[in-house]
Amino acid sequence: MSLAIQLENISKRFGSVQAVDEVSLELPEGSLCGFLGPNGAGKSTTIRMLMSIISPDSGVLRVLGGSALDNKDRIGYLPEERGLYRKMKVGEFLWYIAKLKGVHPTGLTQRINDWLDRVQLPGVAKKRCEELSKGMQQKVQLLSALIHRPDLLILDEPYSGLDPLNSRLITELIRDEQRRGATIIFSTHQMHTAEALCDRVLLINKGKKVLDANLSQLRAQHDGRGIVVEPAGDPQAYADAALAAGFAARAESTHKGLVEIELRNGIGGNEALNAALAAGACRAVSLRRLSLEDVFVQLVGGSRADLHADGGAADV
Amino acid sequence: MSNAKTVRRSWWSRTGTISWREFKHTALTKAFFFGAVVVPMLFLGVGFLVPFMVDKNAPPIKGTVAVIDPTGKIAAAAQHIIDTEGDTGLFGDMPAEAQETIDTAVATQGGGASAMLAAADTRSEIDLTWEIYAQEGVDGAPSIDALKDELKSGNLVALILVNPNGADAKATAPNEAGLSIFVPTSSSPKHQRLIGRAFETALQDARVRSLGITDADFDRVRQRPQAETFRISPTGGEAEEINGARMLIPAGFMFLMWICVFTSANQLLTSTIEEKSNKVMEVLLAAASPMQLLAGKILGQALVSVIMLVMYGGAAIAGLTAASMNDLITTSDLILFALYFIMAYFMIATLMVAVGSAVSDLREAQSLVGPVMILLIIPIMLWLPISESPNGMLATIASFVPPGMPFIMILRVTAANEPVPMWQIIASLVWGYGAMFGMLWLGARIFRVGVLMQGKPPTPKELLKWAFVR
Repeated sequence: MSLAIQLENISKRFGSVQAVDEVSLELPEGSLCGFLGPNGAGKSTTIRMLMSIISPDSGVLRVLGGSALDNKDRIGYLPEERGLYRKMKVGEFLWYIAKLKGVHPTGLTQRINDWLDRVQLPGVAKKRCEELSKGMQQKVQLLSALIHRPDLLILDEPYSGLDPLNSRLITELIRDEQRRGATIIFSTHQMHTAEALCDRVLLINKGKKVLDANLSQLRAQHDGRGIVVEPAGDPQAYADAALAAGFAARAESTHKGLVEIELRNGIGGNEALNAALAAGACRAVSLRRLSLEDVFVQLVGGSRADLHADGGAADV
Repeated sequence: MSNAKTVRRSWWSRTGTISWREFKHTALTKAFFFGAVVVPMLFLGVGFLVPFMVDKNAPPIKGTVAVIDPTGKIAAAAQHIIDTEGDTGLFGDMPAEAQETIDTAVATQGGGASAMLAAADTRSEIDLTWEIYAQEGVDGAPSIDALKDELKSGNLVALILVNPNGADAKATAPNEAGLSIFVPTSSSPKHQRLIGRAFETALQDARVRSLGITDADFDRVRQRPQAETFRISPTGGEAEEINGARMLIPAGFMFLMWICVFTSANQLLTSTIEEKSNKVMEVLLAAASPMQLLAGKILGQALVSVIMLVMYGGAAIAGLTAASMNDLITTSDLILFALYFIMAYFMIATLMVAVGSAVSDLREAQSLVGPVMILLIIPIMLWLPISESPNGMLATIASFVPPGMPFIMILRVTAANEPVPMWQIIASLVWGYGAMFGMLWLGARIFRVGVLMQGKPPTPKELLKWAFVR
């Protein structure tokens, strides 16, 4: 399968700040990739280089098999900071962007109206952008990235500021675009969304790539090293008993009355369940599945205390 | 996978789309239509219509004028002047050449020109009855108070009291009034001038005679000698100095260029800031390169500027043609104007768009626009000294300093009665266009970095640094 995006050791420095440091990535066509990282990690800089808005200081960058500059018309881009011409009418704005992206004017008005209907904005083509609510403006902006049916869709924080209903609508649109054959890369801070939607995750921190994996690989790598117990009695007493029994490397009671246990090396799943039941009366015992958020916090250097112990738990 | 519905386009196709939006956003608005189309049409219309309206509305002067004239000479003389000359020359003594131009135009041209100029020479209908008394209250003459009451009640159009010593030049103190004129509140200023001028002339003639000078001699003395000025160049060329009417043409050229360039450049500044502050810039940069965006914006506003130029310049030329003064503008003036206008527009537009790209809002722009405005104001400050000496050292040096040089050059080439040396024109065009392309390059480099920058506005030094960032 040919590659939609190919980055080879690209770097970008702004003054004394190394915004992107030797990042490499190969993203096959048709992928749906989550681009994660804390604020200031270099996500937007990388995306801007992908869009050829800025050039890398070093490294090789290929988009859709060629130069990003030559393939601008095949790329749809939703920037992190939303922008519309306030006084321009919605239909006029979408027409302008579509024309810039090389869409033939024949049938363009109908296409714009169809898209507006699809995102539940019927009849707003004649309204000025400033008359729309923030959520509506965001949907119009997303349409400006989709209107020319791009082969590569780059979305920077597409869910920012959307209510749950509109978030679901955006998710459907992203899935439809992937089904159509488009390659999609989107940055987000909503880990659960990325987890639910992506088949590939790229995580960068301080300009460096710290993770590049499929979600299935990620789970295989990080899952299964912990269990969560809901004791019948005092959680702290149960945590002490678990440590004394020797199968737990670490045991902590949480404010929800649960006990999180990190297993010692060499302790398998069945052995852990038996040991947990032997350590005291329990209402429930489950394998602790590491969420994407846990991975994020781990790799970016956060504390495990920030983790949501019940997130992603699977009943045993 | 392919994007079948898109069409492959040239660099200029995308630039054209941006240009059209920029043009449409500015020019296809009610404000622009009013400012660039309606206003010049209005000027032109007013120029043609006012004389007709003045002609039709010239009020007649009818009624009785009472005069108390102890000298016994002034009232009769003034009456004679009004009866024979009417209100001719009320707008002041016209220079001989201007009067000649008017007479020629009226005689040779029909239509608007002759109507307009004839209207300027309009005469009021005069039907006056005179009551002349030697002294108030004597021999049945009414008192001054009684005459003033008559004036208030509308039975008199004017009451004139002549100074008893007014006709004697030696008996009148230097600042002593020769006569007093009383008119009702409803009196027309034109009628006041008519009566006042007739009596002043009569008084002046009487005083001249009191000194023993004949009318013929006085007329000879009164004719002001005309000076003919010639400039002699080092090469031996000799040319007659320009007259007053021609002084306005260079200023017209320069201000027209200044207004058209500045209006569009200012629009570029605000639209760039708007795109940056509204965060549209990144969307645009995802669809076009910074150079395409810059070129599209500048060319779109250039069209706006050209429309303004055509409308205002066309109105001015039509006005001059109507007044038979179109010979004051030559074809070479117009060609040079076009060349310097292009130079000025691209220089100033580049500066403004570079400043616009570097800041986030209009307030931030003020500190950077300040130096640009000073550069723009310099040609206006130098207007008078350069008009006085179009081939002097100041003018020559200023002709080669961008970005004000195109304004200075157009001022010089249209002001100098002795032509600006050809080498200076060619050198200024070559150097000016070189500087223009240099500024475009510099502006594009700053624009490319500036449009993506957020935070505090840069210093001029930082702006220059941006130009050399990879």
